[in-house]
Amino acid sequence: MERKYIYLATLLIILALGLVILPKKNDLKEMPPKVLLSAIAEKSRYLSVDQVTHRIIENDPTLMLIDLRPANQFKIFALQGSINLPVDSLLAGSTVEQFNQPVKDKVLIANSDLVSEKAWLLCSRNAVPRVYIMKGGMNEWFTTFITEKPVSGTPSSTDLDLLSFRKAAKQYFTGAGETSSTPATPVTKESVQVVRKAPKATSGGGC
Amino acid sequence: MEKINKDGTTYLNPYLGGVILGTVLLLAFYISGRGLGASGAVKNTVAATVNVIAPEHVAKSAYYSQFAGGDKNPMGNWLVYEVIGALAGAFLSGLLFNRLKFKVEHSPKITNRRRLVFAILGGVVFGFGSQLARGCTSGAALSGMAVLSLGGYITMIAIFGTAFIAAWVFRKNWI
Amino acid sequence: MIGSIISSGIISPSWDNVFAVVLGMGFGFALEASGFSSSRKIIGTFFGYDFVVVKVFFTAAIVASMGLLYLNYMGLVDFSTLYIQPLFLASAIVGGIIMGVGFSMGGFCPGTSICAAAVGKLDGLAFFGGMFIGVYLFSEAFPWFEKLYYSGSQGSPMVNTVFGISPELFTFILVLAAIGMFFGASWVEKKVKKVEY
Repeated sequence: MERKYIYLATLLIILALGLVILPKKNDLKEMPPKVLLSAIAEKSRYLSVDQVTHRIIENDPTLMLIDLRPANQFKIFALQGSINLPVDSLLAGSTVEQFNQPVKDKVLIANSDLVSEKAWLLCSRNAVPRVYIMKGGMNEWFTTFITEKPVSGTPSSTDLDLLSFRKAAKQYFTGAGETSSTPATPVTKESVQVVRKAPKATSGGGC
Repeated sequence: MEKINKDGTTYLNPYLGGVILGTVLLLAFYISGRGLGASGAVKNTVAATVNVIAPEHVAKSAYYSQFAGGDKNPMGNWLVYEVIGALAGAFLSGLLFNRLKFKVEHSPKITNRRRLVFAILGGVVFGFGSQLARGCTSGAALSGMAVLSLGGYITMIAIFGTAFIAAWVFRKNWI
Repeated sequence: MIGSIISSGIISPSWDNVFAVVLGMGFGFALEASGFSSSRKIIGTFFGYDFVVVKVFFTAAIVASMGLLYLNYMGLVDFSTLYIQPLFLASAIVGGIIMGVGFSMGGFCPGTSICAAAVGKLDGLAFFGGMFIGVYLFSEAFPWFEKLYYSGSQGSPMVNTVFGISPELFTFILVLAAIGMFFGASWVEKKVKKVEY
């Protein structure tokens, strides 16, 4: 065998080995500051508790609920299908990858908006698409659905619709006829499916 | 790095040729975001021709209507331009290495006619298969392998595996 | 810059076709200069007297794969935005088998027949012409093959996911396999009786 081919083969192997041993990069790109600032001013990131509940009941497959509260609160009660990712773990950066699911609407839930806003900022800075905040958090959800408040004044027909929806939702979450204010719905914890870099077709044409 | 052939012309060292081809393929991905191809251009030309002769047939056909008919312009396709370039590039290489000559290449055991008939038949069969597999050796296998597409590897194995067996059947045509 | 130059909008898309011609010229030149305009040289792979196809084809594949991964690493190309053709298992295998038969009958594949025709090989021209007939026949017969054409859809999977390894590790193994194949091919070439062509 000619010696030059052995040199060339060695060079190829070294180059290929280089690919394997190069340290991994963080795949998530950062959002430019300007885009981030304009995104903060935008209010479309909020979803109302009614919108979220509607989608839970309809079993919307694109919905991904992320519960940011501490694990002990999550154990006591959580929305159906939600995933517990305490906000501290987001700061550590280890769980940001779980947000890498481009086809899902990621709805952040905390006790109030304060923690959700922080988490939303972290996600948006890492250019995670379709991140929303459930406005008012679990406190708002609880007052809306579990401790029903009467609609003030003379209710219009849309208000009545909303009211009957909330009543139905309450039954859905707490079990039929139950009136206790501390619901004991079994929490369904789903394992997170991490979708990594689904390659998408950008140009057709085949061969 | 060059090998002298019987007719006095030279070919590049195959590894150098491979590096050039790989670099061109890499540039195609880098510049245009797609791989190289050949059969796609044939497909578009056929569709364009049928579209001129019988446009209503194209509109009805489940296959043509994917890429021809209406306001789609199959001849304005990237692959068609690429194949025109490939013709020019190969011509230049033939000029450079002094290989421009009309001839029919075949085994001394068979006639020109038999070789041409088999070349046409081979083209028909290959053209048919390339449409079924959504690409040929360049578009599906080579470009597919470069982006590590599973489809590219499967098509490559299917082509070369079958060709290896079928070559034995047609060995009289070649050696 | 991420992704291809054209889609990132640095150069106007109308330049795309100009690049297509230039890249095509490189493609045609590389194939012809390596000897792909000769059907008997190509077909030599299957009889063991000339492995130029294996050498050129796999060198090109590993150079492009490694190049893309390095460009991806340097942030010049976003691997995830590249076009990965969808895999339809049944049609890929059946189509590949049909192409394999056509390959050993005609001695060319579409790209090489273009190069052969360009340097005056009439068998290359015949193959190229035959391809138009084949494509036309397929298009007309499409309703009969439609079911096969769309069966076994697998999305656009990458080959490394089948083995559960990273693209980089797969490419490394591919390079080792290719080098092994190159040395093996040279060894077989020495053993097999030379065929004059």
